[in-house]
Amino acid sequence: MSEKVKEEKAYRVLESHNFLQRVMFRYMLEGHAASEEGKLAWVTSGFPVEIPVAMDVGVSYPEQYGAIVGSEKAGPKLCEYAEELGYSQELCSYARASIGSVKHPEESPLEGLPAPQALLACNNICGTVLRWYDAISQMTGAPVFLLDTPPLEGEQMPHHIAYVRHGLDNLVSFLSKQFGTTLEEDKFRKVTDLSTETIGIWTQCLEACKNKPSPLNCADRFLAMAPVVAIRGRDYTLEYYQTLLNEVNDRVANGLGAIRDEKVRLLWDNIPPWFRVFRIMGSLAKRGVVFPADTYTHAWTGSIKGEDRMDSIASMYSNVYLNKGLEAKVDKMCNLIKNYDLDGFVMFSVRSCKRYSLGQLVSKELVSERTGVPGVVIEGDMVDSRLQNDAQIETRLDALLEMLL
Amino acid sequence: MSNAQATEQSERILKQLVNEGKPILGYVYPHTPLEIIMAHGLMPALLYANPTVMGSYEASLQTFACSFIRNMFSQRVNDQLPYVNGIVFPGNTCDSLQNLADIWHLRFPQDKVFRLTYPAGNQGEAAVQYFAEELRIFSNALEDAYGSPFSDATFRQAVDLVQQFRSAVQFLYAARLLQPSSVPYHRIAAFVREFHSAPLEMVVDELRATVNDVEHGLAEAGRIDSTKALQHALLERRLEDVSLPSDLPTPRIAIVGGMTEPQAIAELVNAISKVSSTAVVFDLLSFGFKTIFMPMPAFEGDPFETMARSVLGALLEPTQEGLPRRLDFLKDALTHLAIDGLIVCEQSFCDPDEFESPSLLTVASEVGVRTVRLPVDPEFSDRVRLEGRIQSFLETLTHGGAA
Ligand code: SF4
Ligand code: SF4
Repeated sequence: MSEKVKEEKAYRVLESHNFLQRVMFRYMLEGHAASEEGKLAWVTSGFPVEIPVAMDVGVSYPEQYGAIVGSEKAGPKLCEYAEELGYSQELCSYARASIGSVKHPEESPLEGLPAPQALLACNNICGTVLRWYDAISQMTGAPVFLLDTPPLEGEQMPHHIAYVRHGLDNLVSFLSKQFGTTLEEDKFRKVTDLSTETIGIWTQCLEACKNKPSPLNCADRFLAMAPVVAIRGRDYTLEYYQTLLNEVNDRVANGLGAIRDEKVRLLWDNIPPWFRVFRIMGSLAKRGVVFPADTYTHAWTGSIKGEDRMDSIASMYSNVYLNKGLEAKVDKMCNLIKNYDLDGFVMFSVRSCKRYSLGQLVSKELVSERTGVPGVVIEGDMVDSRLQNDAQIETRLDALLEMLL
Repeated sequence: MSNAQATEQSERILKQLVNEGKPILGYVYPHTPLEIIMAHGLMPALLYANPTVMGSYEASLQTFACSFIRNMFSQRVNDQLPYVNGIVFPGNTCDSLQNLADIWHLRFPQDKVFRLTYPAGNQGEAAVQYFAEELRIFSNALEDAYGSPFSDATFRQAVDLVQQFRSAVQFLYAARLLQPSSVPYHRIAAFVREFHSAPLEMVVDELRATVNDVEHGLAEAGRIDSTKALQHALLERRLEDVSLPSDLPTPRIAIVGGMTEPQAIAELVNAISKVSSTAVVFDLLSFGFKTIFMPMPAFEGDPFETMARSVLGALLEPTQEGLPRRLDFLKDALTHLAIDGLIVCEQSFCDPDEFESPSLLTVASEVGVRTVRLPVDPEFSDRVRLEGRIQSFLETLTHGGAA
């Protein structure tokens, strides 16, 4: 009976999902253990985590925690705690949720993130992270280290690489001083190799979605991306992605899609509304809509290679998606639409994330002009459901689908 | 002079310069190196938010863009920036300006749009080298766009002019702190605005005359030396030895915030009849204290490196140093400059302002200084409410009670 119910769902659940849960549970336990030993750093999603990992410093990701807060629908409550401290509702809701959870861990999912002894911010995703971590530092006393990777226009110039490289050397000194640890070349190579291999397999999973039907929908990828964001450079992460890739390849070989009846293929742009993403994707799946590509999960690509791993890191982490101009984002979206043979696109305009969202009205026009496919901008938030109007989103999505179905 | 009059006046001056064939390069960030722009024979003109502009941004910017960039963009859409021949945007300062430059470039491809990217955080010598290279690239881009190469001689003249201006306004800031009746705050704000709108010799001449008058007043009270000592202490950020006269009028108010325009704030405060003209003694605004107390570039050596050192030596910019140093300075200023009340301005949807203000309020309360939080936008759209808040804040300072 339960098999039959499963069969009737528009959406196919990934078998490897259980493995993912175990991986994330282990990551959480490791974070707590590191914190208890006084060796935990909070890191931003675009931080070169390979360095602290190679130096045996534990890591936790407040942005990933923000996604948990969002999914658990605890966003409004935790954001309100930050607002009570004076932080405006207009600020990034990942930041507000994390400030709120530091203030009231007892009211937070998983009782908040384990306490940090250092805060490692890299501004390759936005300038907000520095201010956010400054605020957390005020609350926890943990010092902030900023790796400055100024945004790129076009190619990365030698003086830019040299500057970021200098920041990486400073990072090693900071971690050595803060945690009494050193960076051993062998371990560093091992961690960077693992990280590169992990990203490589993750990229294969993403690229498998060029197939029709697409083996993954974007909600699958939003979940599956957690380890590549948070636990790069560990062997168990690599093992998980290998398992995921096997499952994805099986699906492709057997002609099985993420949804049962694929009719329309769309691109998703931006972070999803974690508190509603499965509902939105589920209801679209029933109408035959799948998202074989998105700009968010495709942001974790690249490889650390060559003799000088630090130079390679300086280059890879400066060239991340959000650290490039709007023109580069438009190019990326156009390429995804072309390479994944997509019929249209949905741009989620996140009210509290200016870096990702400001400019979408212009890029929507350009992407449509260049690819000839229609798109729609819907507005809301990734964590704070108070900033979202579901009815309006539904109307706009309906209007897009009317053109496509 | 009111804000609207100041806007009219700067437009008049710009128009005249354009008629004389001078290309005008607009800028929006306080630490734009005017001297480099001037060394190319261009006139740097600060682009202000215009309180009278009609919102015309909706086709390109979402409503959660900060009020400043909405205003700037609307001015461009409405053709209200007629004299400007190009714009330089900062990179790596705030997310809104970062994205605005891209949007502008795509929406108005015919405009000359430059970006000068700043290092963030306190990165020491590496930041100087990085920024010197960015300045060199910026200078080359100016030469390509306008056909006018960098001139060493003009650079030196520019350094000299800018320094004369800064050092005179620094003196006025110090005078205001020591003897508030010696120069009105709105006068200081007007000079800051005029010079940034068009850094001309005539503004410095006028400023010199004012400094002379102020010096006379201070000399009568025997306060010239202590004013210079305070100017120096502010430049060095060492306030612990500052000694103030015992007969200072109270309350003493400081204003803090990011891109709030000093002249606009001065006008707002002036309009409140019950506010004493000596009340506002200090600001920590981007186009006020923070820009004015920038160290002078050296005349010798590579001009780009020298400029990089100067710009990165500017005080208290959120992009250039972490929050703890800014909070320490605020604490020092509140304590050693005998401030009674702090007005914390926040532009709507401005991440830097909104992230910082809770910490500013905490620091002020730690040292027993009362505060009021002022959400502002360039249009001062709820002016009556803002005036009401300032007025009741001042009443609590004068008569006691909860702020
Ligand atoms: S502002 Fe945007 S990019 Fe930055 S941390 Fe928040 S969600 Fe992430
Ligand atoms: S007002 Fe704030 S957000 Fe807007 S441009 Fe200025 S610093 Fe950036």
